[in-house]
Amino acid sequence: MRYGKYRFIAGFLAVPLALYIVFVVSPYAQAFYISMTDWRGFSGQQNFIGFGNYIELATDGRFWRAMGHNGLLLLVVPLVTIVFALFLAAVTTVAGRQGAVGRGGVRGSRFYQVVFFFPQVVPVVIAGVLFGFFFNPDAGLLNGLLRVLGLGWLTRPWLGDPALALPSVMAVLIWGAVGFYYVLFSSAMKSVPPDVFEAAVLDGAGRLRTFWSITLPMIWDSVQVSYIYLGIMVLDGFALLQVMLPVPGGGPDGSTAVVSQYLYESAFINGRFGYASAIGVALCLVTLLLAVAVLRLTRRQQTEY
Amino acid sequence: MTLGTSAPATTPPDRSQRRPRRHDDAHHKALTGERTLNVFTHGFLAVWAILVAVPLIWAVLTAFKTDSEIFSSPWSLPAQWQFGNFVRAWTTASIGTYFVNSLIVVSVSVVLVMLLGSMVAYVLARYEFPGRGVIYYAFVAGMTFPIFLALVPLFFVVQNLGMLGTYHGLILVYTAYALPFTVFFMTGFFRTLPSALAEAAMLDGCSHSGVFFRIMLPLARPGLISVGIFNFLGLWNQYLLPLVLMPDSDHYVLSQGLAVLAANQGYRSDWSALFAGLVIALLPVLAVYVVFQRRIQEGLSVGAIK
Amino acid sequence: MTPSRPPTGIDRRQFLQRLAAAGLLAVPGAGLLSACATGGGGTTTAAQGQVSATNPLGVAADAPLDVVIFKGGYGDDYAIAHEAMYKQRYPQAQVKHSASTQIAQEMQPRFVAGNPPDVLDDTGAQKIEYAVLVNDNQLTDLGPLLDAPSVDDPNVKVRDTLLPGVIEQGTFGDKFVILNYVYETYALWYSKPLFEKNGWQVPTTWDEMMALCEKIKAAGIAPFAYGGVNAGDYVIDLNLGAAIKQGGLDVVKNIDNLQSGAWTQDTVLAATQRLEEMARKGYFMPGSEGLKHTEAQTAWVQGKAAFYVSGSWIENEMKGIAPPDFAMTAAPVPVLDSSSAMPVTALRTQPAEAFVVPSKAKNVNGGMEYLRTMLSKEGGMKFAELTASVPAVKDATAQAKKTPALESLTAALAAAGPNVFSWQFRTWYSTYSTLLITETTNLLAGRTDAKGYLAKLQAETDRIAADSSITKYHR
Repeated sequence: MRYGKYRFIAGFLAVPLALYIVFVVSPYAQAFYISMTDWRGFSGQQNFIGFGNYIELATDGRFWRAMGHNGLLLLVVPLVTIVFALFLAAVTTVAGRQGAVGRGGVRGSRFYQVVFFFPQVVPVVIAGVLFGFFFNPDAGLLNGLLRVLGLGWLTRPWLGDPALALPSVMAVLIWGAVGFYYVLFSSAMKSVPPDVFEAAVLDGAGRLRTFWSITLPMIWDSVQVSYIYLGIMVLDGFALLQVMLPVPGGGPDGSTAVVSQYLYESAFINGRFGYASAIGVALCLVTLLLAVAVLRLTRRQQTEY
Repeated sequence: MTLGTSAPATTPPDRSQRRPRRHDDAHHKALTGERTLNVFTHGFLAVWAILVAVPLIWAVLTAFKTDSEIFSSPWSLPAQWQFGNFVRAWTTASIGTYFVNSLIVVSVSVVLVMLLGSMVAYVLARYEFPGRGVIYYAFVAGMTFPIFLALVPLFFVVQNLGMLGTYHGLILVYTAYALPFTVFFMTGFFRTLPSALAEAAMLDGCSHSGVFFRIMLPLARPGLISVGIFNFLGLWNQYLLPLVLMPDSDHYVLSQGLAVLAANQGYRSDWSALFAGLVIALLPVLAVYVVFQRRIQEGLSVGAIK
Repeated sequence: MTPSRPPTGIDRRQFLQRLAAAGLLAVPGAGLLSACATGGGGTTTAAQGQVSATNPLGVAADAPLDVVIFKGGYGDDYAIAHEAMYKQRYPQAQVKHSASTQIAQEMQPRFVAGNPPDVLDDTGAQKIEYAVLVNDNQLTDLGPLLDAPSVDDPNVKVRDTLLPGVIEQGTFGDKFVILNYVYETYALWYSKPLFEKNGWQVPTTWDEMMALCEKIKAAGIAPFAYGGVNAGDYVIDLNLGAAIKQGGLDVVKNIDNLQSGAWTQDTVLAATQRLEEMARKGYFMPGSEGLKHTEAQTAWVQGKAAFYVSGSWIENEMKGIAPPDFAMTAAPVPVLDSSSAMPVTALRTQPAEAFVVPSKAKNVNGGMEYLRTMLSKEGGMKFAELTASVPAVKDATAQAKKTPALESLTAALAAAGPNVFSWQFRTWYSTYSTLLITETTNLLAGRTDAKGYLAKLQAETDRIAADSSITKYHR
């Protein structure tokens, strides 16, 4: 039996692990080595320079600025996305009609559920092009709308203003993400046994009370996992930025520079693949720390049901 | 529950007893104070729906305009519907071919990664063995790597295996890169499944793999569907991996084709064809979603209960 | 990072060796196992043929030729025509044509693998920076090409068929390694009919320009547009161009040679302050800082702005968007005042569209021969016809059908005569590009002033000068 068990484990792990080691681990291991060299990226030659790149990185102002933007993205985008998604899910799933808490959503929920998921099926490249145009100060939809509404004084060169470019990018990321988490949370809410809501209603709890003291704790698990997904998505926001704001320096006055863009610039524009790899490794470490931190910090508040 | 109309195909036992909606609403009057909240709620829902839909509708309209119309009046309808834009986009960007390429590569990858990922996750979730923690964290760490750090070494790995520019090469790479997420999610999922059933089956003489394929995998279907959808969307959007591994423009996947279309705008402006291309790429996906949205949402719903 | 443990019983080194043996470790991964980096295959294994009068570069007639073209504003029809010409002369050769906009990502692995194409047009936003390739010894010295007889006349060397500045632009240190095939000219562009309709005169001095801008603004049109999102640096032709015309070629040489105080030379400061004044007075289209270059250009051809600063690719780029009667016309940048060292007709001509022959190419001689073909009269004319642009060869546009832009450009170049200049600092030191895009937009959007702008550029210059790991060039 024991022998059979290990043979089974080995059998199940062999193929996926082999794939993973060959295509994922080995390239990254090599990238880690490259981060300790001065490789320029185009020849087979490089010199080993130990932690030289990391020492330079520690005092590189542009790297830390980009890191700061990443931090801001990590803080704002998941938070706003989750709040929006929770709110939308709550009112279309458990808010009930005419105050009947816990039984179905408000009128039109069915329609909303279809529409809200739309952005999720829009490829990132398309979203980038679309919103690059949406924010066009001259012919874009946003300023056009503001003018139509007589709010012409609110028009801005959105992607050209250092104060607004990053928030604009965040808005697009949020726009694209809410749908998925909305559906995820709705489902989680639907799986909460209806009796729990019944009891709350009988106790005279209003919708807000019910949400805070019943719905949210019941689905906390989903919320926690969502934060990690969103964090990873945000760190991978390179593709969107690359299409929306194709600027090596990272937006107006460097105000939207994120680490992955700086990595790209160091590698492909400045020809410093060794340094770029060091940036990548640093980014990995930060992401890992973040994942661990989120898991640790939110663990205590889990509610079992 | 109004939404209960969409009864999930694989309903877990605790969710199957739904109560009929009560029509006499005793609490109605007591809760009139929440009317303002109601107005606010409906307002917010409507605004969000508009925010979601308008850019897409606008993209479709724009795809029918001439270049000068695009720049002069973002809000007006096209004076004449320019179907030629679509012809130009179709011919210059080969959207159709790329679409099929994407479909092949992504579908096979998703099936493969779901199978392999579940196998790993199952073993990690249900068995004790030395090295389990190392393997689990090696996969979790894989989610955090920025992909283009690995691009150049990866290119050589694929080339040395003679898989450069092939579908199977790209499929294997996609599978490998989707594994961390799948393993992470499915491990959590398998941990929550009841073990009684598996133990009973083992007593009945079922083998380890028999238990997995006949009992655990069907039980995990909800989780498989939701992770599968997430993987599908993620790989459908993947752009850096094919850029380096699929250098032959006949084999481009859709995201590459679109990126080329967008990049070309930097050198020769043809806005209307760009938008037409985007719409061609977008509509089939949107249509598939609308047709299957109920199933997708059900898949996600059941997957959310952990 | 937590790489998976190798199987027990094998240490890491053995594990790597086995991986390498299995062909899974990449170059440079394979290199990292040996303690020191090897020099890489120094001697060429490229195909060789018999040198003769008709084959001065020693092309192996049956060696395949791999050509990669950047498919940007000029398309790739001209390259297909050139390839056909090559094929005609070497019928046994297989010519492989590829076109791309993502040069760096697609070509980098090929360079690392030692399998680069024989001819690479390394251009566009995703190009591989030239300094990177040069510093890594990846490019063939094209000296033999310059000294070879031209296709059309065995008594004239290729070197003597080139327009002025082409050799200088492609020379790094003492080697000519890049053939910039398009004779790019930088100017103020405007619509002639628009100016005639309004009775506007093209300015020759900066004072005239300020006066004209005021008039244009009064007419309800923005004097200038620019693409602040990704191309604010186009506008440096106004200030740096005017500074060079005012102070002469030494101004730009100081900058290229990384002199301390290069960016605070009197004329550079004066011209930049005038640019700042233009920005302050609202002569740049409001909202330009939020536009990409293509969007700004579109606004310009739609009559929302009067001038656009750009290189001569502009007409091609806006083909199909500009109204048919737009008549795009080039004007030189005005001088600061009439005491300028160079006449107002002086132009910045900066050959671009970088054709290189990678040093590790399989068919180096064939690659050079392809460039020689491009530089023939017929090759130049094909290019001029298909792109309405000026190639780096003399007299190529004489018979080509001229568009309004090409016509005005030809006239402007004739008026400039020997008074052409260029700058090299952006080619030699790649970090300038990012900085110029960011800072020029900052200046035009009023987020910094002339002094702050120049201080940033000087700081970068000083940083590069002090960094011993960066290869320096001199002119």
